[in-house]
This record gives sequence, C-alpha cells and structure tokens, in this order.
Amino acid sequence: MKKLLAVLLACAMVLTLAGCGGSEEKSDFDPIAEFGSDTLYVFNWGEYIGENTIENFEKKYNVTVKYNTFDSNEEMYTALLGGDVYDIIVPSDYMVERLIKEEMIQPLDLEALTNIGNIADGLKSPSYDPDHTYSIPYFQGSVGIAYDTTKVTREELEAEGWNILLNEKYKGQIFVYDADRDNFLPALKALGYSANTTNDDEINAAYNWLLKQAETMEPSYGTDEINDEMINGNYALAIVYSGAAAYIMSENEDIEYYEPFQGTNVWSDAMCIPSNAKSPKLALAWINFNLEKDVAIDNSTYVGYTSGHQEALEELSQGEFAGISAYTPRVGYELDETYKDDNNLKAKLAELWVKVKAAK
Amino acid sequence: MQKLKKFFSSSFVWLVMLFFYLPIFYVMVFSFNESKSLTRFTGFSLKWYQKMFETRTIREAIYYTVVIAVLATVISTVIGTVTAIGLSKSKKILRDVVLQVNDIPMMNPDIVTAIGFMLLFSSLNLEKGFWTILLSHIVFCIPYVILSVMPRLRQLDDNLAEAALDLGCTPIQALTMVIIPQLKSAIISGALIAFTMSFDDFVISFFTSGPGISTIAIYVYSSIKRINPTINALSTIIVLIVTVVLIVVNVVPMIKERKKRVAQ
Repeated sequence: MKKLLAVLLACAMVLTLAGCGGSEEKSDFDPIAEFGSDTLYVFNWGEYIGENTIENFEKKYNVTVKYNTFDSNEEMYTALLGGDVYDIIVPSDYMVERLIKEEMIQPLDLEALTNIGNIADGLKSPSYDPDHTYSIPYFQGSVGIAYDTTKVTREELEAEGWNILLNEKYKGQIFVYDADRDNFLPALKALGYSANTTNDDEINAAYNWLLKQAETMEPSYGTDEINDEMINGNYALAIVYSGAAAYIMSENEDIEYYEPFQGTNVWSDAMCIPSNAKSPKLALAWINFNLEKDVAIDNSTYVGYTSGHQEALEELSQGEFAGISAYTPRVGYELDETYKDDNNLKAKLAELWVKVKAAK
Repeated sequence: MQKLKKFFSSSFVWLVMLFFYLPIFYVMVFSFNESKSLTRFTGFSLKWYQKMFETRTIREAIYYTVVIAVLATVISTVIGTVTAIGLSKSKKILRDVVLQVNDIPMMNPDIVTAIGFMLLFSSLNLEKGFWTILLSHIVFCIPYVILSVMPRLRQLDDNLAEAALDLGCTPIQALTMVIIPQLKSAIISGALIAFTMSFDDFVISFFTSGPGISTIAIYVYSSIKRINPTINALSTIIVLIVTVVLIVVNVVPMIKERKKRVAQ
C-alpha cells in the first residue's frame, strides 16, 4: 500500500516539476496596471492554435493563459449556458449570430484593436457581424470537392458541379461528408436553392436528390477518415472542408480541390468576448495579438486552415502552402453562402438525413 | 479428437488475447509514424513523443489527470475503508440500507451521475474546475472501495478489536496495527480500482470540469476532429505506466514471499 502510494506520489511530483519547467524569465510588463488582470481564460477548438502562440503571449504580457478546448459549437454553447466563465471563445459564424441574438457576447472596443486592418479580404464584412462589432475572424474555409486527377478531369467537374455526385460513372467511388447541414449542402446547391432555405418543397427536392444518390451511387458516409482514404487514392471524389483538402493535397499530388459553380458554404470561426468575461481588456489584447502577422502565420502553418489575416494568407499561399489551391478559398462569389443560425432547419435536415442513410 | 479439442480451446484463448491486444498494439505502432496519418505507416519517428512533451495543454492535462487520480484514490480509500469498518460494527438494518445505497452510484449510468453533479454544482453556484472534478471523483470512487473492503471485513473475527484493546492498544492503535493490516490486500485492490476509475473517467470529468482545467480524456475528446499521432503517443505512455504499475504490484509481493521463505 505504502509503496504503491509512494510510486503514485512520485509520478505526481515528476509531473509537477515538468509542469513548472516552462517558466522562464518574464518581461517587466505589469498586466494588472494595464489590463486589470493577469489571467486569461481561452476556450478554443482542439488543435486550433500555433504551437508557440500561448507561450509568446504569456511572455509578452507577463500573464498566464488558461486554455481549454472544445469539439463543437454546441458543446461550447452548453458550457457557456452552464455558467462557465471564459474571456475568449471562438465560435463559428452561425453560432456568433446566435450569441449576439442572446446577448451572450459583448461589443468589442475596436479602437483598442490596432491590427484590425489585417482582416482577410473575404472576411471584411461577414454576414453574421458585418461591422465586427462582436467578432474578429480567426480561421476561414469552404466546403468543396476533393478529386483524384487520375480518375476525374477538371472539365467534367466544371460541367457538372455538384451533380457529378450523381454521375454513375463514379458509382462506389464517392465519399459524402456526414456532418449536419454539410450533408444537405450539395443537394440544395445542385438544385439551385439557398443552403439556408426554409421552403419545405425545396428541402424535399434536396431530400429526393440525396435519396437518388444513396440508391444509385453506393456512396460512403463518414467524416475525417476521408483524409487518409483520399491520400491512399481509394476514392475518386469526396466532399471535404478546404482545410482538410489542403492537408490531403500536401500528401498526395494527384488530388485537387474544386468549389462547384453552383455555390457552396463558406465558413469562418471568430474570436469573441463573452458578456460575463472577467478580463475583457486582456481578451482584447489576445485578439489584437492574434491579428499580428507573425502570430497568424504561426497559427495557420500549424493548423493548416486558411488564415483570417490577409498578409499571412498571402504569404503562406506563396510559401508553406504554395501550389495548394485549397488553401485560398474563393472570395466574393455570389452563390456562396454562410450558414444562418436556424435550429428548426437543422432538426428537419437531421431527421431527413437519417432516412437518406437508411435508404442506402 | 482430444488433440483437436485442445487445439480449439487454446486457439480460442489466443483469439481472445488477439482481440484484446491488437487495438492497443495498433495504437502503439502508429505513435511512431512519421506522417500525420493514422492508417498509413510511412516511416519511424519519435516526433509525436517530442510534440507531446512540448505541448503545454497536453502536459497540463496529464498533470491534472494524475493529481486528481492520486488525490481521489487516497481520499476515497480512507473514507471508504473507515466507512466499511464502521458499518461492520453497526446495526444490521443500517448496514443493509447503507450498502444498498452504496450500490446505486455504481449501477447508475455515468452520464446520469455526471449531469447530476453538473446541476448540483451549478445550483450551488460553485465555479466548476479542479475542486469540482476532484469532489465528484472522490464520490464515485468511494463505493468501489467499500465494495472491495466489506467482504474481507466479514471474514475477520469480531473479537479482534476487543482483543487488541484488552492487550493494551489504544483504539487508534487497534485500528492501525490490528484491523488495517488484516485488510491490507482488500484496501489495495479497492485503491487500484478507484485509481483506474478516476484515471480513465471521461463522462463525469467532462461535465464537472470548467475553465482552465482539462484531463487527458477531455483533451483527446476535444482534439478528435483534427486527430494526430500525439494521441497515440500519449496512449502508449499510459499503457506503459499501467503495465509497470501492474508488474510492480504483482511482482513485489512475490519477491517478498520468496525472501521470507529463504529467511525461514
């Protein structure tokens, strides 16, 4: 018993020491005087920040960052409702819209954000928060088709767009992304409807489109396993996020990325400060810090998603991600849309999607 | 015929072992992968181990997981053991009721317990974090300790404590020098169960954690969308630690036994 305890305590002590190892000399900066706080609570997606960003911020401002991660917008939303207090959160577009509606995030002091001019061109006026009153973009991307150039030609894709996913030539060779709303996106767009439609006839038409796909195309449904499958050349066509496509393309030269002419979903994740934040001033400093070019480059290089920072985006598309078209998503295309916050639509689509999968 | 039977029964055992260990082996192999892929082995590299130790969020998650597991184990073992000893001396009706109540948290699905904790902490306006996780871990570990210690207590002679007192022990001495040593093996197995329950708990930690704290399980869960072999490296280390602990726990008594025999 004692021995076991000793072993366990020894483990704990080693870890404690390891935990303390990172404390190097700090700057003379006095965060209390400047920001009224020296601890920042950040709530971000998993694996969604550069390797050194947190340490660099801590050193620069002589503060401690407490960093938590989440896996979905809904998970983050529930945590906020449950009373968790954070200074920075990074919700996606439609969730920003909901948080604004419910007054759960606070207006930003844009004067304090000296780097605000660096926001990427495509994100200068996002539909969910046109003036950046509440949110500053962090990463962005689109949904598109990753295709294997040894099996599919660009001409075919440009001729058919999303409808290539109904082309029986590729029966058994397509991979459909199984995430809410993204699964209905190809159908709605192929039929010329809005991805935010509330019209039941349009939704039903899209449902029938997907049923046809399920019955005739032998599609595979799934999520991130597609990365390896595409790299290994196991499918001809796959619906993917641009960030995932960029990774696939860097591993397999035969893969290209195409955003259909019927339009697609463009998304962005943005930094916000919750209404109940304890250190809003320090949170502003964090946002401004992430709008610095070097920091944005660090973040984007590590994460592999498209930066919300214009210069970082330009530099990386010439450097780290040169030749990888998926890194620079289409900007300002009229038919591209951002999802609107709509729980009814979401529930309806989820219900129909179950039936689609059952029909396969 | 006999041979065939033997062949089948032994191959069955091997098959079961294969099913047990193949996934773990698979995870370990890919922790050494050179690329980010989890299904395609491109070459040997230790970079994911390096990354694991360099990433502060992972280090913190490991740290909190171990600290919480150790504290929860120690505290719940003490409370559980004392409760069991107390119960063994109390009225039958009280003992039966408490033991029945003790079973409920173990039978209850984790998710119900977890949401219960979350709502309780919210309604008490407790800020969720280290202490709420620790408290809930202690609470869900105690029943396992009681369950493990109780049967051994039943086997003890009721008069043991009185005999000790008769022979000049103070009550505390009777407890620590007579009763506890008799219960040692049961306490250790209870503590081990508590440790593993706390160490790999996800559901309850998830619902009781708050800003600034996460455990290994929570970290793995929230990274699942952009998973990479660091998770494998982390899992490999955990498997190694668990293996070492199990070997120590099993081998040390064996060595002691042998020494005793040699001495005799």
